[in-house]
Amino acid sequence: MHNILMYICVMYSSELIKGTLKTIILKLLSETKRMYGYEITQRVKELTGDKIQITEGALYPTLHGLEEHGAVTTEVVNIGKRVRKYYTLTSKGKKEASEKVDEFAEFIGTMQFLLNIKTQVK
Amino acid sequence: MYTLNEQQIDFILHDIKTRGVDIESLQLNLLDHICCIVESELQEDGNFDQFYQQLIPKFFRKDLKEIEDETILLLTFKNYYAMKKAMIITGITSVTLFIIGSLFKIMLWPGAGPLLVFGIGSLSLVFLPLMFVLKAKDSSSKNERLLSGVGALIGFLICLAALFSVMHWPHALTLWIVAICIATFVFIPIYFYNGMRNPDTRLNTLVTTILILGATGLLFIMVNIRPAKKQLEIKMYTHIQSEDLLRKMQQHAKQYDPLASDIDTTAERIKSLIIEGMIGKPFIPKDFEAQKLLGEEENLGPAFFKEGAEGAILFSHLKETVAKYNSTLTLNEGNKIPIDHFQEDKIGFYNNYVVLNYVVQLQMYLATDENKMTASK
Repeated sequence: MHNILMYICVMYSSELIKGTLKTIILKLLSETKRMYGYEITQRVKELTGDKIQITEGALYPTLHGLEEHGAVTTEVVNIGKRVRKYYTLTSKGKKEASEKVDEFAEFIGTMQFLLNIKTQVK
Repeated sequence: MYTLNEQQIDFILHDIKTRGVDIESLQLNLLDHICCIVESELQEDGNFDQFYQQLIPKFFRKDLKEIEDETILLLTFKNYYAMKKAMIITGITSVTLFIIGSLFKIMLWPGAGPLLVFGIGSLSLVFLPLMFVLKAKDSSSKNERLLSGVGALIGFLICLAALFSVMHWPHALTLWIVAICIATFVFIPIYFYNGMRNPDTRLNTLVTTILILGATGLLFIMVNIRPAKKQLEIKMYTHIQSEDLLRKMQQHAKQYDPLASDIDTTAERIKSLIIEGMIGKPFIPKDFEAQKLLGEEENLGPAFFKEGAEGAILFSHLKETVAKYNSTLTLNEGNKIPIDHFQEDKIGFYNNYVVLNYVVQLQMYLATDENKMTASK
């Protein structure tokens, strides 16, 4: 029904990473005390060496969804004339982050087996 | 690194608003995000306007509002399942309660009232509105949404009307009539117009419209079922006869004492009030047929039902004075005027003819007692 295909993905097709955005955001927030929107996009860019870039069109709806769901809380900080919203994981969000990561790891394992992908040993 | 001034920040915020983003927290998120990009990517002596005009289209495919649409969709998508679940649960619960309540009502078991109130209440106040919201979400055209809205409203009114009828609450008839009128004059024309426009659904629409009209007509007849004219006339004659009998009994008593006299006057005022409500006169004339006066049989109206209304005050006074009278009776228990089973808080449920009969009987008891007193003196 909904259509989060608004990643700008340099390397991977959007179908491939569809549905992983929530996992990415939750995981990043679980590693940092608090983050704001732009910071999240930059961190993903930096960690993946520009292979995955999250757009605003995908990021903010997801963050609002997580807030509504009670997975994150927000803190507003005034920066001159504008305000910055920092997102922090709640205990529910922390639990969800670890569940999502585990689920994804299991999925990768299944896909490796299904597609008979041999792990590259460098 | 570029530093944005206050005018530029105001300009960005204004632009975000103009592009259709209405959710305030999203406006602020986007403002901060854009400011961060400008400040980190634009050279200190760079051209803000040019940079901004190139940057903003990267945020969307068609327009900026799609971010807000996506947010709303994501938020309501979650609610969609919760609402669907709530709809199914309340639907099953209310229908179950309704069926059990109806069984209790038929069997005259205690607890039928709360079961029916809760069952029909949740069906009309929770299930139907939820069904409408979900149906409206799935509907593609405005007409379909309007139709499901009107349909839900009719369902809601019919449920309430049935509940009011079963519980003998006032205004049930008004609810029935409003529901039937909306069905006939709003729902059916819209349904017919919508269906007839499409050649594929024309026949089906025609048949369904006839069925709905037939069902509405049957409902209308059922709602308006009244006792036959003859039956009402018999009830009126019976009352006139009772009054005659009462007058005869009263003739033997020489004089009522002040308390008995008070009871009798109150009883007369109650009767006048009821009959006035039925035929517009304070008593039933013997030639009521010639005058074409016919008193409908119905529950006592707000004059009795409402707290503080004239009827309710008179009843309360009647009970008090009868209790006092009973306590002063020196004769045996059997002569006491029965009053306890007539409960004031249920006056609204009593039928007008039943109450008239009851009050006349009360006066007869009084007349008998007073006759005995006169005889014993």
